[in-house]
Amino acid sequence: MSTATESAGARLVLNIYIGLFVLYLFLPLAVMSAAAFNSFDYPSVTQWQGFTLKWFVALAHDQRLLQGLVNSVLVALGVIAVSIPAGLSGALILTRLGQRSGTVLYSVLVSPVLTPGIILGISSLIFWREFGVPGGLFVAVMAQSSFIASYAMLLFLARLQRQDRTLEEAALDLGASHMLMFRRITLPFLAPTCFTASVVAFLQSFENYNTTVFAIGGEWTLVTEIASRLRFGLSPVINVVGVIFVALTLIASIAYVLLKKKPKT
Amino acid sequence: MGSLARAYGRPLASVIAGIAVLWILILILVPLGAMVEQSLWWREAKGDVSLTIDRLYNDISLIELDRATETDPAKKAAFDQSIAEKQAEIATLEAQEKDPPKTYGLANFTRMSGLHFYIFVRTIFYALLVTALALIVCYPVAYVVALASGPRKAIILMVALIVPYAINELLRVYAWLMILDYRGVINGVLASMGFIDLDAREWIPFLENPSAVFLAMIYTYVLFMVFPMVNTLETLDRNQIEAARDLGASTLRIHRRVIIPHAKPGIAVGCIMTFMLSAGSYSVPAIMTRGQGGDWFSQLVYRQFYESNNWNMGSAYAVSLLVVCTAFILLMMRLFGVGLRDIAR
Repeated sequence: MSTATESAGARLVLNIYIGLFVLYLFLPLAVMSAAAFNSFDYPSVTQWQGFTLKWFVALAHDQRLLQGLVNSVLVALGVIAVSIPAGLSGALILTRLGQRSGTVLYSVLVSPVLTPGIILGISSLIFWREFGVPGGLFVAVMAQSSFIASYAMLLFLARLQRQDRTLEEAALDLGASHMLMFRRITLPFLAPTCFTASVVAFLQSFENYNTTVFAIGGEWTLVTEIASRLRFGLSPVINVVGVIFVALTLIASIAYVLLKKKPKT
Repeated sequence: MGSLARAYGRPLASVIAGIAVLWILILILVPLGAMVEQSLWWREAKGDVSLTIDRLYNDISLIELDRATETDPAKKAAFDQSIAEKQAEIATLEAQEKDPPKTYGLANFTRMSGLHFYIFVRTIFYALLVTALALIVCYPVAYVVALASGPRKAIILMVALIVPYAINELLRVYAWLMILDYRGVINGVLASMGFIDLDAREWIPFLENPSAVFLAMIYTYVLFMVFPMVNTLETLDRNQIEAARDLGASTLRIHRRVIIPHAKPGIAVGCIMTFMLSAGSYSVPAIMTRGQGGDWFSQLVYRQFYESNNWNMGSAYAVSLLVVCTAFILLMMRLFGVGLRDIAR
């Protein structure tokens, strides 16, 4: 059902443009991935010295990067634990509030999404130092949660807008307690969103740099460790990390497309 | 709040409200307040305090020397007293040296040096430029993805856009670092074609030029412009375009009168996100310049915190950045006539 609003010439130009744009997006990633397999010890594709997997082995023995990976996962789990309940509560309140009083609350809860990441990191760093907590994994969790909770809330809000409230009311009329109703009607309805929001929170947290670099103090996550290494020069080990990221993302998105297509056919 | 209690019962409603209040206070408002407060005071560091203390210590040892040779008890007592006085003075001075009194005021903002202010303005200008370029580059992309291709092609294109978007921001910057580095891909290609000789260090120093940051920054944040525009354009009824064409409108006119007005909220959101991300980006300039290209403002902020250890000044810088970003958001909302609810979708 391609529209016939463009002439053939215009469509050709548009298609070439899109092709170039996609090339612009993918070429750097392809170059980065290819260099991970080059045995030259500076990441390069132009000076090819033979295929190797030795940089993968080097990564497996890199204690600081592995510790960074563990730290990243810990932070991401912490962010999920903080931001899912927070986002859910915010969304539940907002759906019950009137338009006018809701707008003020909504603005406050959404504002972290529109705040530069470094500001969130800085304000958390300052806030927690008042309580004697120096920058570190905990402060990173708090700083990241401040905006990731907003994303979670937006996902919950979208889901709650499609909620059929009569189900909850019916449960109450039939004698269920509020607790029982919440557990048996509301939460199951929100469960898929809880899952999606957790995945989004994990990914957001894992890849976050701008907020984390200010909040992390003397500790490190995978991403901050990579960044601090780039200052001293490039190493193919970083390319290996890149290849793994690219591969995981590709697999995940292909799986997503396949799963999404299934119900249609 | 009453309707919340009616819907979920009082105990559950208070738990929900409690969590939300904690979120607002601990994660959003109080940290923000703490940062603003930090930016509004400084400690008067007096270099002469430590000098005075040193002089007092010297005086004391001199007096003690005199006292050791003195035999008259009355004079000895006088020496003792002056030692005690000087020691008391040292104690108060040392307390002041360790914990100088706070002074409140706007000096952290006004004391910004000329160079730093220039970098501040330049960063904002660059961020605006990144935003404008991203908008121009993305509009045709969003148009094709949302309107001008069949459903299957649109899905493929969406995936093609989502994959790079999902890959770590840092690694996307790194890919460009590899391409533009001294021994990077472009120099490598030039060398293999015989234009330059890498062993003689004849490479072209792309990274020392501010446009390297620029290129990587557009690459990193361009998709934050595409997705909001696609979202709004997808809701446009294609029949409107058909109708406009049937009525004789030119392509340009259709874009100006039908498509762009419909895409307004998406354009506003895309611009806001791109500007905010690039004005506050630490990753791209820090990695791309490696201290050789010009600084961006975020790097100055980082150094105030982690190198100069001047948190008050750093907070003032951060607050200035926040003010500009907020002003930009409000301006865009006014210009495009969109509300906050359209933005966070």
